[in-house]
This record gives sequence, structure tokens and C-alpha cells, in this order.
Amino acid sequence: MIDNFALGLTHLLLAVGLWRVLLRDDLDLDPDDPVERPRIVQRFRRRSRDDRNARTD
Amino acid sequence: MIDLALTAFVFAVLAAGVRRPFLWVLAYVYIDILAPQKISWMLLTHLPISLIAFVLAFAGWAYVDSKAGSRFSFRQGLIALLLVYCGLTTLFADLPEFAAEKWSWVWKALVFAVFLPLTLRTRLRMEALTLVMVLSAAAIIIPAGIKTLASGGGYGSLHLLVNDNTGLYEGSILSTVAIALIPLALWLAREGTIFAPAASSKQDWRVKVFAWALSFAAVLIPIGTEARTGLVCAAVLVMLSLRDMKHRFLTMGLLGAASLLAVPFLPASFTERMETIGDHQADQSASTRLAVWEWTLEYVETHPLGGGFEAYRQNQLSIDVVETSASGNTTAIETERLEDKGRAYHSSYFEMLGEQGWPGLAIWLLLHGLGVWQMERLIRRYRPTSVSPPPQALEWVAPFARALQHSQIVYLVGSVFVGIAFQPFCYMVVALQCGLWTLVRRKEQAAQVPRLERARFRRRLLPASTPAPQGVAEGVA
Repeated sequence: MIDNFALGLTHLLLAVGLWRVLLRDDLDLDPDDPVERPRIVQRFRRRSRDDRNARTD
Repeated sequence: MIDLALTAFVFAVLAAGVRRPFLWVLAYVYIDILAPQKISWMLLTHLPISLIAFVLAFAGWAYVDSKAGSRFSFRQGLIALLLVYCGLTTLFADLPEFAAEKWSWVWKALVFAVFLPLTLRTRLRMEALTLVMVLSAAAIIIPAGIKTLASGGGYGSLHLLVNDNTGLYEGSILSTVAIALIPLALWLAREGTIFAPAASSKQDWRVKVFAWALSFAAVLIPIGTEARTGLVCAAVLVMLSLRDMKHRFLTMGLLGAASLLAVPFLPASFTERMETIGDHQADQSASTRLAVWEWTLEYVETHPLGGGFEAYRQNQLSIDVVETSASGNTTAIETERLEDKGRAYHSSYFEMLGEQGWPGLAIWLLLHGLGVWQMERLIRRYRPTSVSPPPQALEWVAPFARALQHSQIVYLVGSVFVGIAFQPFCYMVVALQCGLWTLVRRKEQAAQVPRLERARFRRRLLPASTPAPQGVAEGVA
């Protein structure tokens, strides 16, 4: 009972945490890094362009 | 039901790694700490999930992940050197069969320790790794803490998730790791961004409650397992924490009062066992330990390069246990001689010395000593002061470095009494330190580029005979 509670609680938190991590761009690219900043801007522009295209479609 | 849920969780994380390969690294860390294949009794027990996760993690990094910002640090080199050296001592081990058995898991821990920092390129990755480490260990610590509260536990009688006595499921190792985990859990609660509410810099109160409850459960582990090492580690952590507190004496007074109030509620067996900390002669376990350490020092006189893994199995010890009994004005002292053999080192320092000799111990000490020093440098450089606050993007560095340093010092203190020189959890802390050190160095070097360019530009403007101004020279240096 206690073991199941602890396993359930920690795995729920792990699942939520990993899901949130999965959705964040800064997992792979550091937004404060001057070396990587251009790639982030590029990715942001690409995503905005895709959104615009989706709206016009 | 639990079996199915665990299996589903493992496969879900592995599947999510297809989108973000770093999740495979986290999956390996989770499997390495919690060992869900030991909790499960169906599918997971039949699959080499640890190997699958490692292969995926490495392949994901090698073929998909960006290498921008990845650096091979000096400390990774030290781990690689230790790996090679351990391989050599295994080849020439005194007890080749036993040595090969330990080598079979040590090399994996060391290879992963060399690899892990290469993947820790961003702050979020380090935070995610810390979160997975904390929550995976929490799955063992929380039930153990609750059981201690309910029953009081006992030496060797506290039932953990798995009745295995290896890895984190061994009482003394768990009590050390549980205490070492507290700074990381509290850092996540204060500075973490994964569970922070969107568009807010303030932490969710639920995160803080969970972190403090987990820390309380972690403190209960030394009581539940009656591992004296854990108590020493907890005392060291309190002392380390006082360094950064504003009201040190008040806190010390409150902690002292709280400890005194807690004593009546502690199990009698726990207080009796803790009383033996100061009197090693009356305690067989402590006397044996000292005898093994003495044997190790004698052993390395003839084997300075170490005897390979599990070399301790050759020892034969004679231990004098002194028992004192007082009746009235007379005190009777009885000395009993015990014979023992094949006793483990019960200390990481002597484990390294006996198994890997002086070179192995030197590499291991350098690896950890450098970690403490590097974290201290980061703390001092990025500590917020009224005179020079750190740049906003690097405000998290000093608290994280402090948490990692405290965690490592607790581990190093616990290592005096427990043989955990190759415990994978501790190498994950080392990997986080390497990742943080490399990330900060990269940012510092990137920030220096404009200064260098400015200096070069000014030098071009000045005639060749004119000496460079003081500021420019400093900028170049």
C-alpha cells in the first residue's frame, strides 16, 4: 500500500515533469547562449511561418 | 497493476525519446537509480532495459543530438583514465573471478559518467536530470520514510521497495544518498523551472511542500536503517547549510532544541546504536572496520598498484572487542578476541586504495577534489552580492553549484564509512558538475569574444610602436 502510493506519486510527478520538458525548446537550445541564439531565432521564425501558413490554409 | 504501470511508463519514456533523444538519457538514469526491472515481475524482468536505454541514449546523442557546446572536460578525462586503470587492475587482479563480477557493472557506470556531461548542454537538461535523479530516488526514500514513521524501522529490518541489498537498496548507501539528495531537492524547489507556474518566477507552494516532505523522509532514512553514516552525513549537511544562513546561531539553537525534543520519539535501538559512534572498541562493526583499514594499509605496502576489485576477500582479521560493565564502584573490562575473514572495506577511500592502489586513489581524490574546488569557484563568482550581482541569465549558477557541492561533500563524508566509490548516483552528481562547469565556461568565453575583438580593433588603430593601453592589455589577458 505504502510502496504503491510512493511509486504512484513519484511516477506521476516524473510523467508530468518529462512531459513539460518534452514541450520546451530550451531543452536542446540554450536561449542565453550567443552561439546558439541564431538557431533559436531560426526555429522561432520557422514555427511562426508554419502557424501563418496553417491559418491561411 | 503496478507491473503494468511501470512497464507502460518505461515504454512511454522510451517512445518520447524519438521526439527528444535526451529523454533516453533520462530514461537510463531512471532505470539505473530505481531499477524498475527489480520491482516488476513480468515483462521488464525479461528485457535488458538498462542496455536498451543506454544504447538509445548514446545513439540518440551520436546521430541526432546537436553537439554544439559539448566539451570533453578534464574531469571526464580523469573518469576515462580511472576506467582504463580499473580495467588493467581487473586483468591482473588477485581474485580474477570476483574482480570480473564487480567490473561487469563498474565499467558501465564509468562509461556513462564519461558520456553524460556531453549531453548536458543546457540549463534545462541539467535541471531535468536533477529532477529525474531526485524523483527516482524519492520512489525508494518516501516509502522508507513512511515506514520509519509508522514502525521505527531497525538495523537490517526496514523493508525497502526491493529486498535486494545492492545499489540504493542497501541501508547505509541509501542513507548517504538520501542525505546527499536533500540539497538537490531543495534547489529544485527554489530555482526549478519545470514545475514553476507559467509566466511566474515564483514557485508553486505544492513543489515546496513536496521538497520539504521529501527532505524530511530523507532525514528519517538514517533512523529507519539505523545507519550511523547517515547521521554523520546529516550533521555535516547542517553545518554546510549554516555557511549561507543569515541567523546562524539562532538556527543552530533551534536545531539543537529540535534534536533534543526528538530524542524521546526515536526508537531505543536507534539511540543505542548511535551511542556506539564514540566507542569503537565496544562495537564489533566499528572494530572490524578499523581492522580492515589497517589490513588495507599493510596490503598496499606490498601491492602499491592495488589488488583489483574485491581484493578484500583475502583478508584475515583478529579483532579485540572490549566490553565494559560497571557495578557499584567497580568497572569490569572484558576483552574478547574475534577472528574474521573476507570483510569488506566499508570505506570508499580504502576501497579505492585496496583495489586500485595509490594511483587509483589519487585519480579518485583528484576527481572529487576538483569538483569541490570548481563548484566553490562558481559559487564565489556568481554569488549575488550588493556590489556586483551576476548577470540575470546566470543567477541560477551559484545556488546550483552550492547544491552540487553540498551533495558531493555529504557523499565524500559518507564515503568514509561506506564503500560507494563506484556508486552510479554519485557519478551523476559529478556529471552535473562537469556539465555546469563547461556551460559556464562556454558562456564566459562567448562573452569574452567582443572584448577580444575590441582589443584587436584598437590595436589596429594604434601605431606599431605605441604600447597597448592598460585596459586593452587586461582585456586580451
